[in-house]
Amino acid sequence: MARTIGARLQRREDPPLVRGAGTYVGDLRVRGCLEAAFVRSDVAHGELRAVDLAAARRLPDVAGAWSHADLPSLPDTPPMLDQESVRGRPWPALATGRVRYVGEPLAIVVAADRYLAEDARDAARVDIAPLPVLLDPAEAAGSAVRLFPGSDNVALQRDFGEPIEESVWRDAAVVVEAGYRQQLLAHTYLEARAILVDPRPDGAMTVWASHQAPHRLRADLAGAFGVRPDQVRVIVPDVGGAFGGKSQTWPEYLAVAAAARRLGRPVRWSEDRAEALTGPPHGRGQNQRVRMAADADGRILAYELHIDADVGAYPHTGAIVPMISAMIATGAYAIPRVHVRARSVVTNTAPTAPYRGAGRPEAASAIERTVELLARRLGMDPADLRRRNFIAPQDFPYATPTGFTYDSGDYAGTLDAALRDLDYDGWRAEQAHRRHAGGRPIGIGLCTYVERSGVGAEFGAVEACPDGTFVALSGCCSTGQGHETSFPQVVAAVLDVDVDRVRLVERDTAVVPHGTGSFASRSMQIGGAALYRAAGDLIETARQRAAATWALPVDDVGYRGGELVAGDRRMTLGELAGAGQLRADVTAAPPEAFPFGAYAAVVEVDPDLGDVTVLRIAAVDDCGVAVNPMIVDGQGYGSAVQGLGQALYEHVRYAPDGTPAARSLLDYLIPTVSELPSLHFAATCTPNPNTPLGAKGAGEAGCIGAPPAIVNAVADALDLDDRSALQMPLTPYTCWSAAR
Amino acid sequence: MKPAQFDYVAARSPDDVVAALADGTTHVLAGGQSLVLEMNFRSVRPRRLVDINGVAGFGDIALDPAVLRVGPLVRHRAFESDAVPGPLGVLLRRVAHHIAHPPIRARGTMAGSLAYAHPAAEWPALAAALDAEIELRGPGGSRVVRAGEFFTGPFRTARRPDELLAEVRLPLLPAGTAVGFVEHRRTRASFAQLAALAAVTVADGRVVTASVGLVNAADRPVRATAAEAALIGRALDDDAIADAARAAARDDADPGPQPYADIAYQRHAVAVLTRRALTQARDGA
Repeated sequence: MARTIGARLQRREDPPLVRGAGTYVGDLRVRGCLEAAFVRSDVAHGELRAVDLAAARRLPDVAGAWSHADLPSLPDTPPMLDQESVRGRPWPALATGRVRYVGEPLAIVVAADRYLAEDARDAARVDIAPLPVLLDPAEAAGSAVRLFPGSDNVALQRDFGEPIEESVWRDAAVVVEAGYRQQLLAHTYLEARAILVDPRPDGAMTVWASHQAPHRLRADLAGAFGVRPDQVRVIVPDVGGAFGGKSQTWPEYLAVAAAARRLGRPVRWSEDRAEALTGPPHGRGQNQRVRMAADADGRILAYELHIDADVGAYPHTGAIVPMISAMIATGAYAIPRVHVRARSVVTNTAPTAPYRGAGRPEAASAIERTVELLARRLGMDPADLRRRNFIAPQDFPYATPTGFTYDSGDYAGTLDAALRDLDYDGWRAEQAHRRHAGGRPIGIGLCTYVERSGVGAEFGAVEACPDGTFVALSGCCSTGQGHETSFPQVVAAVLDVDVDRVRLVERDTAVVPHGTGSFASRSMQIGGAALYRAAGDLIETARQRAAATWALPVDDVGYRGGELVAGDRRMTLGELAGAGQLRADVTAAPPEAFPFGAYAAVVEVDPDLGDVTVLRIAAVDDCGVAVNPMIVDGQGYGSAVQGLGQALYEHVRYAPDGTPAARSLLDYLIPTVSELPSLHFAATCTPNPNTPLGAKGAGEAGCIGAPPAIVNAVADALDLDDRSALQMPLTPYTCWSAAR
Repeated sequence: MKPAQFDYVAARSPDDVVAALADGTTHVLAGGQSLVLEMNFRSVRPRRLVDINGVAGFGDIALDPAVLRVGPLVRHRAFESDAVPGPLGVLLRRVAHHIAHPPIRARGTMAGSLAYAHPAAEWPALAAALDAEIELRGPGGSRVVRAGEFFTGPFRTARRPDELLAEVRLPLLPAGTAVGFVEHRRTRASFAQLAALAAVTVADGRVVTASVGLVNAADRPVRATAAEAALIGRALDDDAIADAARAAARDDADPGPQPYADIAYQRHAVAVLTRRALTQARDGA
């Protein structure tokens, strides 16, 4: 049955994409479409006194220009996931009264093309009286300056676990403390955010968007503009990456829709790279303080983590990210006493959102760096110390002190496999040799991680067509993950038919009745589980119909290879579908899952300049059943390279006045193929016990595992006791300074 | 990131270019690898571009007995081949290979890089170290400026707005000149944090001439004269190289604020890179 599950099938979606024949929002040709640009604040915090668009409106081929004052009914940005942090801190689609970050939209201008729209943008006159700027979350938390008068700058604060008595720290054989910075990162998708809104006179609209959750966008737009959800059709064409930044209904989307509706003409906004690097969303952004106690044998007794998260100017999806960090704080370890305090603090940086990993990389980095600090203090091998503290395979399901219940795991298994793949002992010998005989120092760093994947319910349907093919419908939304290939693999396996007979339809709310989307590594775990069940239901329905047709008991009707069989009677699903629609709809809501794995990195450091060269990364991930291991590997490469980016290169920086430092990829450095280290991926398989498919989430692991492994390796190479200066990104200067 | 409106004129001859530039608000479009980016950010808003890509002869490299003459449209990529013989050719190849990445090297030009005068660009430091001559052609005819006087600050040169950078003249290096070039950058796609180049001649075991150039060690390209002086008359041994490296860091470099390095680190890195460039030259690595 499972012949297509586990097959490394080539991705169906790739031929057009690699030939340049993909269709992104920017490629759409919609008759009469206008282009939008935004007048944005160049002041990080200030009273917005005036937005004068008179000169902009006078320019040729400018269809319109509107500030908030011109669109009084313009809805606020709808909250998502969390209502509490948003209360008292509304996010207007166009700024009114006050600006809170550089890049905040003040007005939308619409013209015949983007060049003219930018001319109109430049013709706008803006008057802003600056206010004091808050950039650091800890400072903002205690500041008398309030971003939202009447509301605290701490938008959300929660405690997890129980406060730890002082005696625990006092009596422990060893206590280590440290502070870590999770720098702000940009969601560097190849295609930035984009939307095209085509309005109809009756209030209906067709919306094309580069998005992860089309049904949510539909609901938000319907709610914002007071139309029925079925009057809004959201289509997601090809998407050039999302990484958590395209689940939202962004302020710009509301402004574009409002402008299109006012004009009665289609309007498109394609975010450019400068906008993408300076505006929302950004990811990460945590200041962390940790304390860990252990006995003399290296058994961890207590772990305390304090997080101050910079969630930017408006608390939105980023506000819950530190809470995810808190809940996964203890990683792969059984720790008796745990306390986490997480605060989401508003500042005058661009609003944050989940970014690939979404809270788990931050948590893994904190505990994995601390575990290695502890190992050094105890003079223990860091792998041994980890093994001593792992949650054991027989202890699942395991309830963490911070509120998660891990479903399954074999943490020592993945660590041992990663060490073997790396040749851990060989590199340790080489390290000892170089320390003795000279040569550039090398270091080995590890990270074992647990992540949480998959939340919420998902829709899936399978329909048999009279021509013998099958259509699978999913509420998920591929933004590059290869659903067109992997979802048919699931359906074909259950139906026991050739995979080429199954095609996928998703990303269109007019065809897929409801859905949740693709984020939190949920697509295969939950969307795949829904399709698996839908295909099974289809077979059951078909057996019942065939039994009725043949006047036989259902139990006498068998199924094999797309055919119903009873004695010498045969009928294909296609033949049955010809007699009446044959389709099964399912909504699956399995519990969240907890994939895990181990990363091991070897680095070499140029001691003169501080340059880090990653020589090798060996990763072993366990995401349960991998439907298409080639796609899983591809996700591993991508996320590991993004993890390399956080470790060594990427950083959204601000000048003291709140001006973003980078407006192009010359200033915001990302790793490309030239920086790719030797990467070795392997997998173990601990099936998801909560779904018949057995898949857990995949695709974010590299962002979680690579950064702490690399940072730990650099600390090891530099032989550092004091690692406080070693903060990401590990620039040459950072490493050189840390080593002095 | 779309440019503001501009006019465009395609030149067919050197005179066309000079005539177009006479208004003082026209910019030269050669490879466009920096200009077009600036225009997209609207940090540069030329009223008009004069495109020199169709001017016959502008893409030529000529080899005189003692001078390499480089036209205004010679792409970086031309120097990656073995078109230029001798030690200068070796040095040009090494430098060219470090400029941006292949698509940019296929379009961008040496003359454009000199005219743009980005402090982190490679060619200006090479021109400064080798004391290149730069020919500027304007309405009143041609004049020649030495590289040492040409670069006047970050993105600033002695070229007047109505002048075309018509030719770069690099002195050929005598046979046996030892050359080295090392660059420090964070990714293959990033600008240089720092780079150092060296061209040294040795006779009878003593350094006779030395040219040392530094990229991004000041607000303009640096000819490291103190480092050069530390070498002259001495054997090119580790001690001399160390002295030159120290002199480069202490006396020649004048680093300013950088996003990811303090002044002490930058001076330290100047010493490291100067040492490595000279060592590479000596060892022929």
